[in-house]
Amino acid sequence: MSALKSAFKIEHRAALGDKKSSSFMGVSLEVLPEGHVLHALSRSADGGLSGAIRTALGISEIAVRFVSPGQWFIVGDAALSAAELGAMTQKLGALGIDTVDQSHGRVRIGLSGEKATRALNKGTAADLSLAAFPVGHATTTLIGHIGAHVTRTGEQSFELMVLRGFAESLWDELCEMCAEFA
Amino acid sequence: MTSYRLPKGGLVDRKTPLSFTFDGKRMIGLEGDSVASALLANGQLLMGRSFKYHRPRGVLTAGSAEPNALMTIGEGGRTEPNTRAPMQELYQGLVARSQNRWPSLDFDIGSLNSLLSPFLGAGFYYKTFMWPAAFWEKLYEPFIRRAAGLGKASYETDPDHYEKCWAHCDLLVVGSGATGLAAALTAGRAGARVILVDEHARIGGGLLAETALIGGVAAPDFVASALAELASLPNVELLSRTTAFGWYDGNVFGAVERVQKHVRAPLPNVPVERLWRIVAKQALLATGAEERPLTFGGNDIPGVMMAGAMRSYLNTYGVAPGKSVAIFTTNDSGYALARDLEKAGVALAAIIDSRAEGAAPGVYSGTARVITGAYVSDAHGGKALASISVFKGGKTETLSVDALAMSGGFNPIIHLACQRGERPTWSDENGAFIVPDQRKGLTLAGSVATTNGLAACLEAGAAKAAALLGDLGFAAQASSFGTVEGDIVPAAAKPVWSIPGIKGKAFIDYQNDVHRKDIGLAVREGYGHVELAKRYTTNGMATDQGKLSNVNAIGLLAEARGISPGAVGTTTFRPFYTPVSFGALAGTSHGKHFQPVRQSPLHNWAKKNGAQFVETGLWYRSSWFPRAGEKTWRESVDREVKNIRINAGLCDVSMLGKIEITGTDAAEFINRVYSNAFLKLPVGKARYGLMLREDGFIYDDGTTSRLEENRFFMTTTTAYAAGVMNHLEFCTQALWPELDVRLASVTDQWAQMAIAGPKSRLILQTIVDEDISNDAFPFLGAKEVSLFGGQLQGRLFRISFSGELAYELAVPAGYGESVADALMEAGKEHGICAYGVEALGVLRIEKGHVTHNEINGTVVPGDLGFGKMVSAAKADFVGKHMLSREGLNDPNRAQLVGVAPLDPATTFRSGSHILEKGAAATLENDQGYISSSCYSPHVGSTIGLALVKRGASRHGEEVLVWNGIRNEYTPARLCDPVFFDPANEKLKV
Repeated sequence: MSALKSAFKIEHRAALGDKKSSSFMGVSLEVLPEGHVLHALSRSADGGLSGAIRTALGISEIAVRFVSPGQWFIVGDAALSAAELGAMTQKLGALGIDTVDQSHGRVRIGLSGEKATRALNKGTAADLSLAAFPVGHATTTLIGHIGAHVTRTGEQSFELMVLRGFAESLWDELCEMCAEFA
Repeated sequence: MTSYRLPKGGLVDRKTPLSFTFDGKRMIGLEGDSVASALLANGQLLMGRSFKYHRPRGVLTAGSAEPNALMTIGEGGRTEPNTRAPMQELYQGLVARSQNRWPSLDFDIGSLNSLLSPFLGAGFYYKTFMWPAAFWEKLYEPFIRRAAGLGKASYETDPDHYEKCWAHCDLLVVGSGATGLAAALTAGRAGARVILVDEHARIGGGLLAETALIGGVAAPDFVASALAELASLPNVELLSRTTAFGWYDGNVFGAVERVQKHVRAPLPNVPVERLWRIVAKQALLATGAEERPLTFGGNDIPGVMMAGAMRSYLNTYGVAPGKSVAIFTTNDSGYALARDLEKAGVALAAIIDSRAEGAAPGVYSGTARVITGAYVSDAHGGKALASISVFKGGKTETLSVDALAMSGGFNPIIHLACQRGERPTWSDENGAFIVPDQRKGLTLAGSVATTNGLAACLEAGAAKAAALLGDLGFAAQASSFGTVEGDIVPAAAKPVWSIPGIKGKAFIDYQNDVHRKDIGLAVREGYGHVELAKRYTTNGMATDQGKLSNVNAIGLLAEARGISPGAVGTTTFRPFYTPVSFGALAGTSHGKHFQPVRQSPLHNWAKKNGAQFVETGLWYRSSWFPRAGEKTWRESVDREVKNIRINAGLCDVSMLGKIEITGTDAAEFINRVYSNAFLKLPVGKARYGLMLREDGFIYDDGTTSRLEENRFFMTTTTAYAAGVMNHLEFCTQALWPELDVRLASVTDQWAQMAIAGPKSRLILQTIVDEDISNDAFPFLGAKEVSLFGGQLQGRLFRISFSGELAYELAVPAGYGESVADALMEAGKEHGICAYGVEALGVLRIEKGHVTHNEINGTVVPGDLGFGKMVSAAKADFVGKHMLSREGLNDPNRAQLVGVAPLDPATTFRSGSHILEKGAAATLENDQGYISSSCYSPHVGSTIGLALVKRGASRHGEEVLVWNGIRNEYTPARLCDPVFFDPANEKLKV
């Protein structure tokens, strides 16, 4: 029986498997790896917790992203094994944080270049000026009709995180938003 | 044809001639021309026919208020009717056509309407076309539509694309005349984020037609250097060809940018129009003022024009209005035109000034004849002006002129400021409707705030901008721009509403052909209130929304009623300021992008298994999976249903809402949001839950499993997934913030499949590592499982919607397709089939399970036989108290019941109503209706679920199913809603 089970090779199918990262004049779209997205849920809305999360997990500043009071996404390019996920869950548990795995539920898209804000503001009402939306800042917003979580990862680069089911639609929409820079 | 282009002057590029056609006639204009200025330069004064009387009309303005010169621009899918000629930039190869004429602009049969004009006055339609009703559709409407109309839309697809975008700024400046430029320069120099919008192609507003000097340079040169400076500032965005059309909550302004409406062949990747939503911390309205026409006879004859417009054509475009010109003015602004005309060498026949005292001293030093205390009572001519009657002291004199300028004073363009409910007030001092400058987020400056003259406007723009930025924390210095020389600063005009001695038709609303007498008629017939007069006469109801006509109509109403214009008041100001194309409003949301698609992680699995998809919300769900030889959907669905009850089937249920609930009070929380008990649900178990609204009616249902002591996994219906999440967030944040509860939507994290049928365990066991026998994993079990020899972790639930032995397996979404493939492969020898929502529906109706067909917002638990799911033991849950209301416990309430036809060969449809046997088919006899129905291969006939008065106690009763729309009658019998395996023997094996 067990031999039969292991005979099935289970494959991962990326949500944007058909899409190719594309460059326009001044703006690029990138399919980011489906690594890990952990939803950290705390009872406390204390913003200082994001620092505690970073320290506990030994991860970079940009890896911990604000979602809403008491909620963060912990993001990375590497897919986690069950053991790794368990270890992280335990460390976060020590901070009073519950962890929900969203690694498959959210898909990340990179948008960068000097026209990145121009292109993105076709979709989102968020003020994307560097002063109002500094590097590391994140917000949940609508891009057109699609809800997305946007993080500024550099002066001219953003990461968009979208529900897996909407990933393809958002990608197509972003291509349209960038088309004038082709 | 005479050329009216002057040998020099204007901001047009004389080295770049552009060829275009008007009604097929080839003409030459210049780069920098508008269609209106190019037509005038070609001597084409006749540009359109009026709406009702088909009177010949020429261009009246040089801007967006234009009521007359509306034409159709472009060809094929790019045909754009009702384009205002002064606003359309000329380009090489432009094709313009006049509208509302047949067979031609010169000879128009519709102008016979003019002869009928005694019968076409205000209220004509209301009086004449009252009855009989059938005449409306067959006679009146087609006649009116043919006779009175605007341009025709194209039936071809618009080949261009449109987009929307957002922008943010510290200061939005609307209008780029003296005030707007001064404000933008002040704010830009202070380092603030500035957006300057102007509806015209060129930035500069009135300065472009101005001959005064600013700081020693000509006004247009001042504009050019200001523009160069603004363009060099990275914090300033200049949006020309952009109309700010609306002011909305949150200080958001709507603006439409015509990105490529001035080119023949738009770049395919660039939108032709862009809809801006501009979020401004502060906005400065520098929209200026609209010149008021004067209401004399024949004031619509081609050749009669606003004085300011004539000055624009002269100074901006280098076009003379005619060979012999007269000016009719009530204020000093007319003399600026007089001066410029004389300087350009255009013969000025006379200036007719309504004021006895004439111009202020020093304003006019020209040679033209000035007739003070006089009025132009009538203009004469057909398709072009030939002469005017000047009325003074009871006597009339006729002057031969081919152009007449008029200026009746100025109306501040306050529209945006009034779009959020504010009403303007009348100022006798300014002879205009004004708004006080005291609203949050939007400030007025310049002539919109009744500031007159260039110097004062420059100063006001700079000062207001500096003050606004100071409030925002910028250290802004009001810029100064040097001395202004040669400006005529007109004092406010005393309005002249009624002109003596009129013989001809004196128009107020040019576009809707409303004339002076219509207003009098409206007052006499009891429609003197401004809102009633508007509807009765249609004044201000055309596409120009009364930009030129409203205030004149109010003035005449005031005179007729013997009250002040302030007491008459204005009609309501609403967006849009000028018309906005549907293309811009739709943006990219059309065709494939009309709405986003939400794809299940099993979408590809379904596709390769041949699914027919159905849109449910944004999801595409598989409906059924046709196989070779099946000719109808029913054949496929019947096969799927039968196979599931014999073998097994696999269905994608990923789109069900999934919410993970954690926290030390999670169990207590769930216990409060469901009506049935959840507090003591053991770890490893699932339970069906009923969620009520506060008012006691059922909101949603689903299963919730306890995975750990403080970790639950809730499922919702597909339709209410987002609604339930919102509801739960409200409950945690507002109702019970003291509970430690954390919510995460995990709908997209999991690919979830239902595996149903007697062989489902057999098939599943081939991939699940743990023992899932009935003893090890009984009905309503829920747990994490290891799959494929430890390759994957999943969540397995033993729940059933079909009444069969069934499971739902959730695996991380990226693995969903592969796992479903494996199950289909493993299940092949056991006869597994893919099934869709149609088969799912049949299986659940056979078992009497409800969905939102039944949970339709009008049912309480008792209605569906769920009375036992309302916990009496719980202290509280959402809906508990309202549920005890008398009406919700009325024994006559509709209750869930099954329905089957007496003759299995007959059928009925969902939505049909239930009548008592022998009762007449009337609404009074209605007993309820069929909420769900299908063909059941196991019963061998159509079966249905229905909500019927006292239904639960009427099993066995013969009834008549009545479909009043299709006139169908089916004798049937009410029965137990569970049609299949009522003892649930198959479920727990």
